[in-house]
Amino acid sequence: MNIQPHTEVRWLRSGDFSAEKHRDEEQRLSGIMCTRLPRTACLLRLIALCILLSQTSAYFGLTGREPLVFLPAPLSNESPSGKAHLKQCEQLTLTRRQKRLCRREPGLAETLRESVRLSLLECRYQFRNERWNCSLDGRGSLLKRGFKETAFLLAVSSAALTHALAKACSSGRMERCTCDDSSDLEHREAWQWGICGDNLKYSTKFLKNFLGQKRVSKDLRAQIDSHNINVGVRAVKSGLKTTCKCHGVSGSCAVRTCWKQLSPFHDTGRLLKFRYDSAVRVLSVTNAATGEAELAGPRRHSHSPRPMDLVYLEDSPSFCRPSRYSPGTAGRPCAKDTSCQNLCCGRGYNTALRHTTLSCHCQVRWCCHVECQTCLREEEVYTCKKH
Amino acid sequence: MAGAIIENMSTKKLVIVGVILLLFQVFSFLVGGLIAPSPTTAIHYLAMKCVDARKVQQSKWFMPWGPNQCNKIRDFDEAMVRMIEANDIVFAVHIPLPNKEMSPWFQFMLVIMQFDIAFKVVNQIEDGAEVTIDVGLAYRDDSVSEWTEMAHSIEKRKLSCNFTTSKTYENEGRYYECDLLPFMELGSVAHKYYLLNIRLPVSERKRVNVGIGEIKDIRLVGIHQNGGFTKVWFAMKTFLTPSILIIMVWYWRRITLMTRPPVLLEKVIFALGISMTFINIPVEWFSVGFNWTWMLLFGDIRQGIFYAMLLSFWIIFCGEHLMDQTERNRFAVYWKQVGPIVFGSFCLFIFDMCERGVQLKNPFYSIWASDVGTELAMAFIIVAGICACLYFLFLCFMVFQVFRNISGKRTSLPAMSKARRLHYEGLIFRFKFLMLVTLACAAMTVIFFIISQVNEGHWHWGDYTLQVNSAFFTGIYGMWNLYVFAIMFLYAPSHKRYGDEQSNGDLGVNSGEDIQLTTTITHLDGPTEIYKMTGKEAQE
Repeated sequence: MNIQPHTEVRWLRSGDFSAEKHRDEEQRLSGIMCTRLPRTACLLRLIALCILLSQTSAYFGLTGREPLVFLPAPLSNESPSGKAHLKQCEQLTLTRRQKRLCRREPGLAETLRESVRLSLLECRYQFRNERWNCSLDGRGSLLKRGFKETAFLLAVSSAALTHALAKACSSGRMERCTCDDSSDLEHREAWQWGICGDNLKYSTKFLKNFLGQKRVSKDLRAQIDSHNINVGVRAVKSGLKTTCKCHGVSGSCAVRTCWKQLSPFHDTGRLLKFRYDSAVRVLSVTNAATGEAELAGPRRHSHSPRPMDLVYLEDSPSFCRPSRYSPGTAGRPCAKDTSCQNLCCGRGYNTALRHTTLSCHCQVRWCCHVECQTCLREEEVYTCKKH
Repeated sequence: MAGAIIENMSTKKLVIVGVILLLFQVFSFLVGGLIAPSPTTAIHYLAMKCVDARKVQQSKWFMPWGPNQCNKIRDFDEAMVRMIEANDIVFAVHIPLPNKEMSPWFQFMLVIMQFDIAFKVVNQIEDGAEVTIDVGLAYRDDSVSEWTEMAHSIEKRKLSCNFTTSKTYENEGRYYECDLLPFMELGSVAHKYYLLNIRLPVSERKRVNVGIGEIKDIRLVGIHQNGGFTKVWFAMKTFLTPSILIIMVWYWRRITLMTRPPVLLEKVIFALGISMTFINIPVEWFSVGFNWTWMLLFGDIRQGIFYAMLLSFWIIFCGEHLMDQTERNRFAVYWKQVGPIVFGSFCLFIFDMCERGVQLKNPFYSIWASDVGTELAMAFIIVAGICACLYFLFLCFMVFQVFRNISGKRTSLPAMSKARRLHYEGLIFRFKFLMLVTLACAAMTVIFFIISQVNEGHWHWGDYTLQVNSAFFTGIYGMWNLYVFAIMFLYAPSHKRYGDEQSNGDLGVNSGEDIQLTTTITHLDGPTEIYKMTGKEAQE
């Protein structure tokens, strides 16, 4: 039996500790507790501890520690009565509760994968001109720390999941979206009477349940992560646009219906990138009144960070050289006047002349018809030097 | 119609009536606010992209999910790779979402369309681009049987999109901001399941769907009335119909009991009662059992008739209280003022017939979709607007005249004979009372309208949630019913005599006057002599 959660590849990582810390903890615990106990009892105790810890905070999406499946399999065309989704649920690494949710809801597995795809594409797009380009190579090590990048990964993952859930609901891929709480008959009545909430409300609630965020641990890392996850959800919510339609007598506004509309995920990504740029470094402060640990801003008397701010614990490495966090910026293409200076960390760049063929004078027609001529172009390509 | 009940009522009784009406008013607000859910629900639908693989699929309808679902693609990059042509892509939307079913209680369903169009430098939206959609609507009543076609049409919709940032390569992939497009309107929701299949056929030769940008997704928003609201609304109508009907019968009996024929104002009040009853009669109950698609149009017509009647009533009421000693009491006198109302209503009726009338045949029709239609619709609405302005000018002028006459009469009141004075005082009081009540009602309507527009839709008070929009509808509907009720009750001819209430031996009036004062004939000579005579007789 594997009792070391940090070696497991899981969708949801046991939350409160970074893996190294966790290992220390275990050694310490086993050192303390197992000296006089039989080995089996010690094991059981540790398992219990691990289960307890794994419930408190959650990592998912881009922050999952499994190898990412970027491009999910083509949309399944099986009927929901088929057991295809069960297999998909097994493929994903989830906690027991999440697996249960996944089995109950046939569309969830697909939505989870869609959210990974969405967050990955957006993360890469937003960081295409940064030293850290959202490469997934150092992701594991990055997630153990409390960098700004970690905060972004968490936020973009939760935002993508919220977005994907709401979208899956409106396309009918998920079956229980609103009016979900009650039994079947009540559900039908609630729908007919008209008191079901909207999809977004549902997806936020579902996300909370899915991540098991109801109890937030007092641990600083867990608090920060939970905060950053909420920033992602809020970013989706703040991008909602209210749209109205008048349909009274002769189309007058005597009767008007309004609804909230998701903004494109690009906009959410841009907002999160902006939050990343203005992220706040926090410390843990014990609240004198309640005795509980709280997040606090960098200055001694400043308030706890605003709900919209991304927070981080430690300053990021430079990401210039290959490290366990990133493969470094060597070989990255850059733009001569704008990004090369920053991207190459002062090492300079190579200039190469390249002939490229590219399609030009295209005649594009919806949807899938493109007629292009091929043009030969000579362009200078700049890539960062290794040393 | 002199000697209305309102003049002869004691202040105490009047206050009691007022309080009772006010209680009903509060009740009607609370019914909507506390019992009913919000009036309508909007549901998002994201169209699934199906591939029309003709040989594989037998049915010509494409299901986005559930059993027998179609062969789907995620996005058009996939279509590009698989060499699927635009004409083989079907956007499928099933209404409602899984595990739900539509119900006749939803009364109507209108669907709005929105395109997600990504910006691409080589494939931008051309100016005045028009999308041609080939759309089919089908229904079924259980989840296994075949789909039955309900409507099929090829429609054009104008794209009005703008791109907020600069059109550079850097911004490729960002979405245009596009206006909502009217898509479909159903006047009844008689079936449980509906299926929409939308195609965007492309033809280079005919310039169909060329230059419409890179459409990524089609989103629909379906709006229907909530079943709970419908039930509360029907209950209200069912309760209000007999109450207005009873007061109408009572009112008419009072008039027929009199020895003189009814005057114009009495007839108009009666007509107002009839139009109110016409709105109230809950024929919508039938829409639950029968598939009557024209119910929406019929509702519009009923409302239109009531509004026209109400507006005419105000004009005639003002006119009959002008006190400028001209002969009125004939409908023909008011043609100038009532004309704009009739004409304006007629314009709106034509407009409604063009929109909702045609929708009976083709639910996808929209008058706003074509240029000619838009101009026509705008013309109708503008003419109706001008008529409304004209009407309000007339009304304001008349009200001003009445007030001028009132202040003129005020000065000469003490010099008049008692009967004549009472007559004028009655007129003034009646007018002012109605003026006040009408203004209050109109102000309430406007205030609640603004609140319901500005507000989020519901307020929380502790455990209670107040649905502001529902409260607005039931409250305002109840209010105008109470208004008509109160007018019929208070302005019905009184059987009491002027003197009866003033018991301090002031026998200034006798039965002779009752007949005379019941008309608004205010000739300078005729009635005054009779007044004098009767007055003298009484004194003797």
